[in-house]
Amino acid sequence: MENSLVAALSVVTPSGHVSTHPMLPLYSRERKKLYLTSSVLFSKKVEYIKKNPKVGVLFSGRQFIKTPAYAVVHVKGDAKVYEDNLHEGWQWLVDLWRKKEPYIESFIKQRVALPLFWERIVIEITPREILVWDEGDVSSEPRMWRG
Amino acid sequence: MSVEIEQFSDTVVSYLDDDGYPLSLSTKVSPSGDGYIVEWPSYLKAPKRLTMLFNHITPISTGGYTDRRYIMMKGVAEQKDNQLFFKPQKLYGWDEKRKPFFQYCEERVPQARAYLTELSRSVGRPVKPRLPMWQLLFRATRFPFLTATVAPVLIGVGSAAYLGFFDPLLFLLTLVGASLIHLGLNMTNDYFDTKLGADTANITPTPFSGGSRIILYGLMTPRQVASIATLFYALGIAIGIYLAVLRGLIPILSIMTAGVLISVAYTAPPVKLAYRGLGEIAVGIGFGPIIVLGSHYVQAQTFSVQALLASIPIGVLILLILYVNEIPDAPYDAAAGKRTLITKLNERQVIPLYKLLLAASYAVVVLSVLLGFAPPTVLLALLTIPMAYKTVKAVRQTYGNTYLMIPALASNIQVATFTGMLHASGFFLWAVLMHFIG
Repeated sequence: MENSLVAALSVVTPSGHVSTHPMLPLYSRERKKLYLTSSVLFSKKVEYIKKNPKVGVLFSGRQFIKTPAYAVVHVKGDAKVYEDNLHEGWQWLVDLWRKKEPYIESFIKQRVALPLFWERIVIEITPREILVWDEGDVSSEPRMWRG
Repeated sequence: MSVEIEQFSDTVVSYLDDDGYPLSLSTKVSPSGDGYIVEWPSYLKAPKRLTMLFNHITPISTGGYTDRRYIMMKGVAEQKDNQLFFKPQKLYGWDEKRKPFFQYCEERVPQARAYLTELSRSVGRPVKPRLPMWQLLFRATRFPFLTATVAPVLIGVGSAAYLGFFDPLLFLLTLVGASLIHLGLNMTNDYFDTKLGADTANITPTPFSGGSRIILYGLMTPRQVASIATLFYALGIAIGIYLAVLRGLIPILSIMTAGVLISVAYTAPPVKLAYRGLGEIAVGIGFGPIIVLGSHYVQAQTFSVQALLASIPIGVLILLILYVNEIPDAPYDAAAGKRTLITKLNERQVIPLYKLLLAASYAVVVLSVLLGFAPPTVLLALLTIPMAYKTVKAVRQTYGNTYLMIPALASNIQVATFTGMLHASGFFLWAVLMHFIG
């Protein structure tokens, strides 16, 4: 999770469909939680999460994951949305973000160019169940952990 | 709904699991008729509704990634002969090579506004996007465009210095007064372009076109923008009145009134010059003869043929800033009923007219020297001809591609600014030479 450049966040829509979005995943070892941030420009998924906090996050795609050994990981979890400080409340995540996008701070410095993109919501996911497919082989049953 | 799946490096299928949580897995799919056959593991129950995400990024060796694209499909799934067949019903996606990130963001502004409105309602206080004050004012006033005022003021003052008149304090007051009115103009322009729908319709703004968008983004309210614009106008007019009392009541008040009226009428109803194909002429007159003759009069207390001739090239060049900046805005301006000159012409007409007007502005500089109304040193302005040539080429090559046009738009502004500055320098240089020689 710490080495994956992209993950697929799935949320449940009010009509009961699943909506899946590629996102930059940020895992905090310290807090043992997974974080994602969404700009207010792309906040539809956040509206869905506020109505139904059950989410799934899949880490897959060999070329997206910089580790010698590859496994596909799925996290089922409960999401909590932090939107009380859209302007700066996500900035504590920049340390984790920088490890995946080293140039991110140069974009943040130019927030005047895209002001709404940098008004961001934090999505915190507490894992509930983790599935692991070794070598990404989904034909075999995954190993499972339950929280 | 055919998708070139080989363009994506990962395929994720998701469905709602029995426990109410979404479950996703990375698998292989192959197109089949109007849907896809999904490799489905035997240990999982086949779902009836499925979401499929085709995803791609290209990781960069130094960190980060580029080349983002994805397609999300929602549809129904059916088990046929031990295979899972997926039939998409809805499709949605983004490819940054086809739709630049800035445009992608711009299209989502209504979603951001709706989200912030709902959040404000739920927390019981207004939640607005923010920028540090100096960044907000920089963006709201479109401050860098002030070079379009500095150049004609310098030409007006320079042409007066050429005739032997120069007062640095009056020059500074003229510069500040004209700049304040220009800032008022920029904000008034934004106020009315947002109100009349021209900025809202534009989903491909650039740093040089599409307005400041501060009202559209919710960074300032229309009332705040109108108040600040009024303040700029009031301060600019106050300086103008002071200069008029000091240097010539009727001529300076007349020039200033004409300038302020043109700047307000540029986008304000009922006149809306910019919406009637008259915006370019208004800008040419406002930033040409009005500023140059006004600045000249404050110094010399008289109008002159020298100043009038000197006002023509800069007026035309600043008209051309607007003209070229209107190219990326043209489809949105036309949709919003803003009939700019560009919306009335086609590409075959736009470029020749651009070349003609550029050539005319240089020709007037040469002519003014030949007729003895300007010193030979103003020919320094011709030094920008190679830059102008490259700019025309760049505008022609990138015409119609908003984001590729950005360097051409910047270069066009540089041509106007540098030519104006060199033109003014020519007058000042001659005045200094004459002072020392005799």
